[in-house]
Amino acid sequence: MHPEDKASDALLIAKLKERDPGALSAAYDRYGTLTFSLIVRITRDSSVAEDLVQEVFLRLWNRIQDFDETRGSLSVWVLAIARNMAIDYIRSSHARFTARTKPLDQTDFAPISYKPNEADNTLDNSRTVKEAFTSLNPNQRKVLELAYFEGYSQSEIALRLEEPLGTVKSWMRSALTRLRTAIQEGRAK
Amino acid sequence: MTHSEMDELYELYLLGALEFEQASEIAGHVNRQCAYCLARLKESSRVIESLPSLIELKQPPPELRARVLAIAKPPRKTSSWPPAFALACAASLALAFWGIGQQKRLDELNRQRNELRSALAILSEADTKTVSFGQAETEPQGRVFISHNGGVVFLGNRLPRLASGKTYEFWLVPAKGTPQPGGLFKTNAQGIAVNVLAKSVNPADYAAVAVSVEPVGGSPQPTSKPILIVPLG
Repeated sequence: MHPEDKASDALLIAKLKERDPGALSAAYDRYGTLTFSLIVRITRDSSVAEDLVQEVFLRLWNRIQDFDETRGSLSVWVLAIARNMAIDYIRSSHARFTARTKPLDQTDFAPISYKPNEADNTLDNSRTVKEAFTSLNPNQRKVLELAYFEGYSQSEIALRLEEPLGTVKSWMRSALTRLRTAIQEGRAK
Repeated sequence: MTHSEMDELYELYLLGALEFEQASEIAGHVNRQCAYCLARLKESSRVIESLPSLIELKQPPPELRARVLAIAKPPRKTSSWPPAFALACAASLALAFWGIGQQKRLDELNRQRNELRSALAILSEADTKTVSFGQAETEPQGRVFISHNGGVVFLGNRLPRLASGKTYEFWLVPAKGTPQPGGLFKTNAQGIAVNVLAKSVNPADYAAVAVSVEPVGGSPQPTSKPILIVPLG
């Protein structure tokens, strides 16, 4: 995160803690699109995503006093809430037996996009990560997507892909290693 | 596991991709503020935190902004009530919100009133034991009040939204044997849930309480992995 983003985040957090409605508006303008996009990607349902975005910002508004800046940025916190809510939703909904049982290549939404997007300003290393992601093989991408967007454990992924658990672990490990290396090299530049 | 064995697992832990046993072991280190694990998790978080930047952005509908901004309300004065009374009032409010708009019938209100009375009785028992759960910012959070004479009150927040046709079911989990059903409940619009089990419950007979998602009407035994297990020890 750039220093100016950090300063801007710190101000936003302070205003949220003061219960300044303008701060909620600023937070939505900063993170609303990314939050909505993440939830749509996970739930594959725009109307559900609208409801969940509202719940994410309700939680941000009500729980901001608990937010500890030393443990991460505001964007990471907001997106962690959004991801958890979306995965909880698909785990508890009948969607698991409908949309989520479609093969990955038949879903309404493409897998992770490689296009540049507006999120570049809010998250570190996005270009580096995108480049690293495109360099992964299809199996490495698939296991990473199933873990991040579907919330599956490695053994669940192995069942879903009908592959040995050891193979899935190997794909996951190599995918994460490649992303980690790319980020470390990007930070060293 | 040794720390070196955990080295390849921190990112998977943050992803939620580890099996329960491994995740529990790392969570134990985190809860004990293990410096090695906290440092490695911070390092590992860089990879996981970068993943949302790969998403194709989709613009939310313009009206969603107004819905979100409607959340902001003027600040309320902080309560100086004693904790037990404040909790009792929170339970009362949760119970009221829970029913309003969904059940207008008088018998439903009477049922809620009786449940509230039971909850207040349990909270005021001299032997009531309180167990808190949910320390992480994004996890369900709340308290369980258990009294040998009065029963059990479960007060939860941040529970996942239920799909239609589903309900939460509360379970008493003995140290040995199968879980015993302890009531059905749902969350209110604020994500708060209350379940009151008004019967004699000896805390020594139970290792934990749990909550699972079940079909409406409940199940005699859990049919899904519990979303919450709260040890009573």
